[in-house]
Amino acid sequence: MALKSSDPRLLVLVVDDELLIRWALREVLEAKGYLVAEAVDATAARSAFVDGHPRPDAVVLDYHLPDSNDLQLLASIRHDAPSVPVIMMTAYSTAEMIEQALALGARHVVNKPFEVHQMADLVTEALPIH
Amino acid sequence: MPSPPGFLPDDEPGGLLRAIVESSDDAIIGKALDGTIVSWNAAAERMYGYSAADAIGRSISLIIPEEHQREFRRILDEIRAGRRVPSHETVRRTRAGRLLTVSLTVSPILDVTGRILGASAIARDITESRRIHAAFDASEERYRSVVDSAVDAIIVIDHLGRVESLNVAATRLFGFSAAEVVGQNVNMLMPEPYRSEHDQYLKRHLSTGERHIIGIGREVTGRRKDGSTFPLQLSVGEMTIDGEKKFTGILHDLTERVRLETQLREQEALKRLGEMAAVVAHEVKNPLTGIRGAVQIIGGRLPAGSRDAEVIKEIVARIDALNELMKDLLLFARPPRPKIASIELQPIVLSAIELVRQDPTARGVGFAVTGTSAPVAADAELLKLILQNLLLNAVQAMKGSGGVRIELGSSGDCGTIAVVDSGPGILPEVREKLFTPFFTTKSRGTGLGLSTARRFMEAQNGSMALLCPDSGGTTVLLQLPLKAQP
Repeated sequence: MALKSSDPRLLVLVVDDELLIRWALREVLEAKGYLVAEAVDATAARSAFVDGHPRPDAVVLDYHLPDSNDLQLLASIRHDAPSVPVIMMTAYSTAEMIEQALALGARHVVNKPFEVHQMADLVTEALPIH
Repeated sequence: MPSPPGFLPDDEPGGLLRAIVESSDDAIIGKALDGTIVSWNAAAERMYGYSAADAIGRSISLIIPEEHQREFRRILDEIRAGRRVPSHETVRRTRAGRLLTVSLTVSPILDVTGRILGASAIARDITESRRIHAAFDASEERYRSVVDSAVDAIIVIDHLGRVESLNVAATRLFGFSAAEVVGQNVNMLMPEPYRSEHDQYLKRHLSTGERHIIGIGREVTGRRKDGSTFPLQLSVGEMTIDGEKKFTGILHDLTERVRLETQLREQEALKRLGEMAAVVAHEVKNPLTGIRGAVQIIGGRLPAGSRDAEVIKEIVARIDALNELMKDLLLFARPPRPKIASIELQPIVLSAIELVRQDPTARGVGFAVTGTSAPVAADAELLKLILQNLLLNAVQAMKGSGGVRIELGSSGDCGTIAVVDSGPGILPEVREKLFTPFFTTKSRGTGLGLSTARRFMEAQNGSMALLCPDSGGTTVLLQLPLKAQP
């Protein structure tokens, strides 16, 4: 159980450098009753997992970020927080990349563009409480 | 009664005939009907090495080799019958035992009453000329075989442009037999406009001596018997034989080189395109995703069924169309690596047909699969995509009504799939561009379908060709290796 003491809502971290994607995902996720945190790059995403912050319960993570263009970030999140589900987003994928991401423990790899409501449903599915 | 030596009458005036016989360069020998030599001129002495004194009185078989004795008896029989033995080639032996090739004429000698007295044999030594001929023939043959074994086509024309000779490579290159070309104007091997202009080139060269191609060589276009054209390197040499100008063309087929060059250029371009595609895809798809998501959310706040909500739907549809274009471009620029396995063609063809049947535009189209093929080495998913694309093209070409036949077969070490439609066919000027990325005849289409399909085929070590038979319609021929390539 990853319930927060201060706020009973689950926290979803959205990592993408595209403002409109972050905004749209925040809208649909908040509508589903989640708290949403945003990160614009890999550095910001990593800092969300260090002390002093509420720990995310799920991550929606873009493959390509200004300071990251591989699966390193996914690997480190999976390492630091193996129980936190991660859903990858990508504008361009190869079969090999999808395979590797799944092998590293990503729940899904979703191709851009996607239906924002469907993405919200995937997050709900991935979380321990429905 | 004529007396030896010979049959010349003793009263012959001034011994003129005798003098003529003696001065002849041909051996002239008189012999009786039993073959006894009765006269022997100076040339016979020189030729056979026997003096007149040695020869006269002996049998002519003196100079006839063993294996020609029978032939000699036949000659005597002819003479006894009063018949002349016309000039023929035979062999005689000299005193030294050397064999001579001679041209021999034997005629009966008659007296005034018509009685046959004997025979005169006139022999010319043709040993040397025969030897020269044989050597010439051999060298001619050698030369011919050199020319014929040449990889390049060699064609000799006269000053009017008529083909005098051509080698085997030339017949192979153009698909004509030598008989179909020799004597014809060489311009039959050229496409227009060169065909019409060649006579003028030739005339201009002959009158001005200007050289545009002779001794320089250049890339030109040839035309095969079947009407197809191909690139070739032509070098022309000029010669004068018996005062007449002739031209020798050496033609080197450039088809393969041009094909490789084109292929290399295309591969380079595709590689760059592939590198670009990943960047562009991200740069375009990322904002598209944001726009789509944001617009949808804003749209969701508008009253359902309102004009504004409808516009939002249209915006989303446009974004999706843009995304489809990006997807097509990516598929073309970075085709997935095929997973080659041994697969049966029939079930793949059937499932592609099934998918196309679901398209409402294909409702009036009938599909038939004929023939069989051994399993091929290919990627089933890629092949299904290709077939779907081709079948949809066929459906669109036939405007949704008609029949599409899918013929399975084998040729050599390839399995083949021919997609044959009964549509209007493809105009020649369109045909050339069909595989050019982004070329399309459809009002809506990215123009990437066929070029992508071809890339997919090539990625599977296969090929794709477009045939436009005279009978109409269009046939797309796919070939895939029967066994996996190493």
